[in-house]
Amino acid sequence: MQLSLSGLIPVPLREKINGYQSGIWKNSLLLDKGSSVFIQAPSGTGKTTLIHILYGLRKDYEGEVKWGDNILSSTDDETLARLRTRSISVIFQDMRLFPELTAWENIEIKLKLAHGATAHQASEWMERLGLRDKKNSLGSTLSYGEQQRVAIIRALLQPFEWLLMDEPFSHLDHANINKAAALISEVVKTNNAGMILADLDANNFFPYTKTLML
Amino acid sequence: MSDAVQKNILKKLLMRTQNRSRLWAALAALCIGTTLLLLSVMIWWNFRELLYGKNQNDTLGSTFLIIGKRVTEQNMGMAGATVFTPQDIENVKHAPQVEDLGIISSNHFPVYAMMGGKLAFATDLALESVPDKFIDKMPAEWKWTPGSKDLPIIISSQFLDIYNYVFAPSQGLPQLSEGSVKSIVLNFKAGRDEQSETFLAHVVGFSDRIGSVLAPQAFIDYGNKKWGKPGLTDAPSQVILKTKDPSDAGFAAYLKQHDYNTNPENLRWSKIRAIVSVVTSATGVLALLLMGIGALVFVLFIELTIARAQNAMTLLLQIGYGPRFLGRFMIRRFLPLVLGSVVLSMMVTVICQVVVASLVVSQGLALPVLPGWPVWLALVISTGILALLVSGSVNGAIKKQ
Repeated sequence: MQLSLSGLIPVPLREKINGYQSGIWKNSLLLDKGSSVFIQAPSGTGKTTLIHILYGLRKDYEGEVKWGDNILSSTDDETLARLRTRSISVIFQDMRLFPELTAWENIEIKLKLAHGATAHQASEWMERLGLRDKKNSLGSTLSYGEQQRVAIIRALLQPFEWLLMDEPFSHLDHANINKAAALISEVVKTNNAGMILADLDANNFFPYTKTLML
Repeated sequence: MSDAVQKNILKKLLMRTQNRSRLWAALAALCIGTTLLLLSVMIWWNFRELLYGKNQNDTLGSTFLIIGKRVTEQNMGMAGATVFTPQDIENVKHAPQVEDLGIISSNHFPVYAMMGGKLAFATDLALESVPDKFIDKMPAEWKWTPGSKDLPIIISSQFLDIYNYVFAPSQGLPQLSEGSVKSIVLNFKAGRDEQSETFLAHVVGFSDRIGSVLAPQAFIDYGNKKWGKPGLTDAPSQVILKTKDPSDAGFAAYLKQHDYNTNPENLRWSKIRAIVSVVTSATGVLALLLMGIGALVFVLFIELTIARAQNAMTLLLQIGYGPRFLGRFMIRRFLPLVLGSVVLSMMVTVICQVVVASLVVSQGLALPVLPGWPVWLALVISTGILALLVSGSVNGAIKKQ
């Protein structure tokens, strides 16, 4: 599934965008399936806005976002839900776990919906990311780092063609970043998927095929 | 992972902030409203059944009336002055509220009834006949063909009452049940002199509607033809009417204007029907109001539950749960509560009907043991409306997320 952007302008950032040359805003862009795209975005340039627009959470923009044949602005809620279950996965910057559920329940709620990874795989991934002892801890009691690792696993549970990541490692130390990045690379490869990672600074978490400035 | 685990987690996320007391209050209002609605339909239908149903119950203000021309100082003794002419009959057929008219034929030949034994008696008798559709409780044996010696007759229930409560005690005779009267055989001698015939008459039924002795129409026609006095008019002196509402002012005015008389008790009783009708309508309106309030509180409860679970709902939608899936999940949680309250209402209604049906038997009335179809229809319609309200409010609230 190709991702195509054309003339994208988020309404709240319109004036700011007009003041500089962006590699994404106002441009036409075609990203092929399997691409590894890094979007470097200094603070305030709309990194999270972009990820939310691509994931269909925001509609306050001009221009067009197209996932395959689906024009995002006119996609109905059910189709959007299907895209989010089968084609596009996301790691939010603010993790967005259910605080009232345990770490494992946060995983389970996605497992049943997505029919991607198995419970055994999910359990194994938790162990790889050092969350074995945190399975029964409530989301609200997990540290940011632990929440981020649960959010990463949750995003990898479903089948996807594109993985969107918004500062996915912002709360992790180097050792955990390496473990998480290795897991993500492995699952992205298994899914034969592409990825878009937005972050503040240049990095080499993954071998990017394209780097864009926001 | 099983569906049960998913449901439990969703329940934990979406249903945990329920205010139980508000839920029970809403359900109680809904249940009371639905019960009242079903009961008011039940009362209305029962009343209809009593008046117009197959088991027509004349005890409760008949819609069947026998009318005749009033005998006055002026017309008494004048031959044919109190009989109905074909024009009269046509006129009455088109009177207000009249649905059907039956001619009451009487015998124009002598009938002599005799019985031996302890209750021995012999008397001249007058017989009448009405079209079968005007007989209130049609006995299976109600048939006579020329040549048959067995003659079924129906007597007025009042005759039996007079015998049991007035005549028998005064003469020291045994009182008789309906069953025992049916087992008595009377010898009827009909006709004149050597042309007369004898019949074995059996009482096959009792009528609340007709105040005389009824014989099958075929027998009266046969007797009148064979033994009838030449020159005697065949015009009826009484007709029986099936009316929609004998308490109608237009109908009463019509009777007065044409100087027809009838049993005024029937007209008086029928007033009760108007009262019941008003009470039923008022109960129905109250029931609809209560149901409306119950449904409104329940819908508000649903919206409040979803609003309280707003964060979880939003996040579920963000991680890929479809609005339709979540809507179905919520509807499956709320709908059984509504259905439960409706089923409870129906159970109360069925119990009431069973109790009412058994109670009215002692009043000489008959009602079906189960509620009539309008009650079931009201149940289906109210359930449908409630289901639509629940699904509409759930889907609407989810859409707002």
